[in-house]
Amino acid sequence: MAVEFRKDLFADERDDDLNEIGQPIIRQDILGHVTGRSPFYDDHLYDGLLFMRCVRSPHHHARIRSVDAAAAERMPGVIRLIRPQDVPVNLNTLLSLISFGRDDEPLLAEHRVAYKGEPVMAIIATSDRAALDAVARVRVDYEELPHVLDVEDALKPEAPVVNETYPNNTFDYHDRYDHQKLRFGDVEAAFAQADHIVEGEYQMSPIEQAPIETCGAIAAPETNDRYVCHTSTQALFFSLGTTAKLLDMPSSRLHFIGGTVGGGFGGKVDSHHEPMAVLGAMLTGKPVKYMWDRAEEMQVGAPRGGERWRLKDGVMRDGRIIARAFTGFFDAGAYTRLSSYAVQKATGHLPGPYMIPNVASNVYCVYTNRTPSTAMRGFGITAVDFAIECHMDKAAETVGMDPIELRILNAYRDGDMKAHRRAAKNCALIESCQVVAQKSGWPLSAEAMAQSSLFGGGIGERGVIPETVTDQAGQIGERKRSGLAPEPFAGATARGHVPAGTATDHPATGNAPQREDMEIEAERLGFKVTRGASAPGQTPASPMPQPQPAATVAPAAPRPGAGPAMPPAYTAPAPASQQPVAPPASTRPQPTPPTPPAAPAPAPAAEPYKPEQPFQRGVKRPGVSRFISGSRRR
Amino acid sequence: MPSVATYATLAEAASAMTPTSRFLAGGTLVMRDVNYGDQGFDRIVRVPDPALKAITPDSGRISIGAGVTMAGILASRDLDFLWPAARAVGGPAIRSMATVGGNLFAPHPYGDLTTALLALDGVVHLSDSGQVPLDQFLVNRAGLVRSVSVIRPAGDAFRFHKVSRVKPKGASVLTIAAWLNRSAGRLSNVRIAYGAFAATPVRVTAVERALEGASLDQAGIAPALQAATDGLAPVDDALASGWYRAEIAPVYLRRVLLGEVR
Repeated sequence: MAVEFRKDLFADERDDDLNEIGQPIIRQDILGHVTGRSPFYDDHLYDGLLFMRCVRSPHHHARIRSVDAAAAERMPGVIRLIRPQDVPVNLNTLLSLISFGRDDEPLLAEHRVAYKGEPVMAIIATSDRAALDAVARVRVDYEELPHVLDVEDALKPEAPVVNETYPNNTFDYHDRYDHQKLRFGDVEAAFAQADHIVEGEYQMSPIEQAPIETCGAIAAPETNDRYVCHTSTQALFFSLGTTAKLLDMPSSRLHFIGGTVGGGFGGKVDSHHEPMAVLGAMLTGKPVKYMWDRAEEMQVGAPRGGERWRLKDGVMRDGRIIARAFTGFFDAGAYTRLSSYAVQKATGHLPGPYMIPNVASNVYCVYTNRTPSTAMRGFGITAVDFAIECHMDKAAETVGMDPIELRILNAYRDGDMKAHRRAAKNCALIESCQVVAQKSGWPLSAEAMAQSSLFGGGIGERGVIPETVTDQAGQIGERKRSGLAPEPFAGATARGHVPAGTATDHPATGNAPQREDMEIEAERLGFKVTRGASAPGQTPASPMPQPQPAATVAPAAPRPGAGPAMPPAYTAPAPASQQPVAPPASTRPQPTPPTPPAAPAPAPAAEPYKPEQPFQRGVKRPGVSRFISGSRRR
Repeated sequence: MPSVATYATLAEAASAMTPTSRFLAGGTLVMRDVNYGDQGFDRIVRVPDPALKAITPDSGRISIGAGVTMAGILASRDLDFLWPAARAVGGPAIRSMATVGGNLFAPHPYGDLTTALLALDGVVHLSDSGQVPLDQFLVNRAGLVRSVSVIRPAGDAFRFHKVSRVKPKGASVLTIAAWLNRSAGRLSNVRIAYGAFAATPVRVTAVERALEGASLDQAGIAPALQAATDGLAPVDDALASGWYRAEIAPVYLRRVLLGEVR
């Protein structure tokens, strides 16, 4: 079917001189794929290649009393066992490379297993089958522990502790809360005014990425004390950095070769095989392959996490949604991996592409005794979008309105203030709805067809941050003691009020907008600008969107020069605030990884390798924000 | 790593079987277990005897050697009534190796051919010349199989349908085989079997009873549809829940009985 381009829409905002988009192109790697010549990591068959397999936990949760590998060691073909003590730094969290979260996951579990399939030992042998036969002869004495598999059960006071680094079964946000808060406006007051309250719960299952080539890596000693690693990773340098950390070696000794992933979809970023294979090559001096079989890929390969979302809308008779509250639970499984980030990504996405003046959310990254979950195609967004769009239909049904018209009525328009305190731009939901309706023969009213993302946005209250009610409920550990309900404002004894248009240091209502090494698009900030200057979008209030150009395209504040100085448009929060202040996570020193109890003290090695400078995000390109790719429409 | 022992005849092989031996026919199940390091067996026994590949018509019945492959069935005009069932197994590579005997041992949700054989009054001939009805054989699935004999259905009396989510190579969510024997225009001694519904392919005796003497039309089969899952315990697996299987069984049974399957 031919692609139809609607170049009539937003034509003045786009240069139509693109070389790739809209042009038929040949994928750069397709010739190799269709002729069977693309080299994948598994094609690097070294002479004398050794094979690694793991001993895995048969339990969801258990203490390891002892491991007897004597019989395995005597098996024919067995070259070397790898025990947890053989891993130089046996505790890591993937996002430590960007200083987010505490190290919480061992490469090989030593004292405790927290999910079915967690590796406790690896065996290297001359053939895959010999390694499997040896694995079957390892006797692990487990003491089974109570386990928890449901996110809300895991929040209950009586729930077993899944991850000792996070004993409340939730990731710690901003060193204060057991969830990521979002507060925008006053949902409680708006619910009281609403004509209808629409509630719904939506549950999404974990999804395995199921690549054609299962995850794996082949590592071999190279000259000059280096190791080469052929890998299926999706994130070559991320895997390299993780390997350098776990194996306590400078990354200059690692030569990683990737490029052909064999199907990834997010399932090949967890960097488990690369350190294992390189460690095997280090300990044996031989090339070693570590590859999951299909059953392992399905059982222990990290999937998209399961998510549960509860939505509560305050809806007026005319279809306007005036308040929306979310309670979200991300099932991280036993370890953090990337789920902590998914929660923040989801929170930034709320309340969906709709102009809702009062929004609150509590989103939890919850540990359960399930397979750790990780990235997959828009993780953090797809599930809550599913929930939001189901809920929009439910709201439309409640007020007896056409579901597409309800979306057009509530859609963001250019200049509207989003709940995460940036003005919306490049909005296109209204146009998308109109085209979809047209193409599917769905009748829309003339009024709905006349709407546009280009006008009506950012006018009056639509363009500013409302006065916002805050709360302090859900401090780290509080829920475990009191069994607090997870919903926004549940159990809150006091309310804080943040005046309209201001920022505070409160993690739920926006902080210093971006890191100091980032450039700020001052014209999109929702925070009050420097005294004397007029705030963006402060045009006289008008109840209905009017067909006039949005007044938000205010001239941008002068770009800040290089360096960490804040642009004049940003007012730093007053030092004395109504909230207790915690140091921002980025500048706080990382807590030392907890020492596993009763661990035999390893020989005091030389000072572990530390990079001279912490890992830095972003790239420098003149005139382009390092992180905000806001140049789709100008 | 398992050792491999080859014997000239099935009888010799049968006497040489040990608790940790597995008989290898086409290898589509056994070699998978070898590759996955199955510790349950350390010896592979095989019999390259061409007699196991014989297809022998015998009055109203036909005997199919245990070593006949799915491709062998598809190449035999005498077995044309089994073509839909043979074609429902795997892809071309699997069909060129997978055997009739092996299919009798295939774990859930496999065993589409066995479901067809069950509806065709299959009788299993064992290596010691003993024979046992297929439904009884499936209870324990023990012994080395020489051949399976089935009736040769007349006209359109035999119906087969496999429900799968992925076509054409998906594993079964439900397989229905029906031998609709008629006597004086009325159904008589019919045999109905479900595959991928319970732990093994099973006969659905409640449906068979409900169809006795019935006419093959909407009204005639109504009691049978009511009884579509009576006495059966549908299983959960990754492809479908037991609840789902029970819900779709009467729908597909109706389509099979009335010839509505497209």
